[in-house]
Amino acid sequence: MPLWFIRGLRRGVVTTRYPARPEPSAASLPTPPAFRAERLNADLADRLGRVCPSRALRREEDVLIFDVGACTACGRCREAAPEAVTASGEFELAATARARLVKRIPLPREARP
Amino acid sequence: MTADTGQERQAAAQLRERVARQFGRSLHIRTLDTGSCAACEQEIRLLAAPHYDLHRLGFFFTPAPRHADLLMVTGPMIRAFDVAARKTFEAMPGPKIVIATGACALGGVYPADAFTHGGVGEILPVDVWIPGCPPSPLALLQGLLLAVDRLAEKAASLTFIADSPPEEVPG
Repeated sequence: MPLWFIRGLRRGVVTTRYPARPEPSAASLPTPPAFRAERLNADLADRLGRVCPSRALRREEDVLIFDVGACTACGRCREAAPEAVTASGEFELAATARARLVKRIPLPREARP
Repeated sequence: MTADTGQERQAAAQLRERVARQFGRSLHIRTLDTGSCAACEQEIRLLAAPHYDLHRLGFFFTPAPRHADLLMVTGPMIRAFDVAARKTFEAMPGPKIVIATGACALGGVYPADAFTHGGVGEILPVDVWIPGCPPSPLALLQGLLLAVDRLAEKAASLTFIADSPPEEVPG
């Protein structure tokens, strides 16, 4: 113990940076979904809202509201619509304001007959 | 919080500087479980493991709120915990930071009802929100470093809109 203390004093380095090295396990983490906006439509957005167990997805007019803070990365939306929903791969999601975690995904305008 | 006027921005910068000076590069964390499933606690516990080694970054866990600079709150803030949460927060010396940890604490999983407040933000002034169910130790580390202003916020710039691969035809 005293040896380590002296070693620390001599080196003068108390902390290291984050991340100290690339983290390989990060690739296998469950992450919130990312949406292929052009493949969404109002019906699909409603359906995604219904399958979401944590109320993270809902539709408002022609926008899909995605609350990243409420998302548990369960993957049910990805299962329901694999063609339009993928994994985002983002996990460093800390924010200083709650509102910054609520994302608005515009739905493509539907062609009217 | 939005710093719109120059005065507000200046005040925010001064506060940040003061927090950095007072907390320095060492910070003591007290965790508070307000009815979580303990998955968040497992991830928080892993922070001290050699692989993540929280201590190299100058963070330490403390069992006493009196010694804590930062309160890490998990769970949906059940109403039965009102008194304990208030006492813990009041026992901490200022300046203090509150981190809401996990989807429950952010109000995602349990809506407000007779048993829970449906989120930590209803009761405590939250400074940093860490999403995830549970947030991985890496996500927690990023949140802690964001709380002491040693890392930039990434979440604001993410859109969660994916590009379709070019070889696939939509429809």
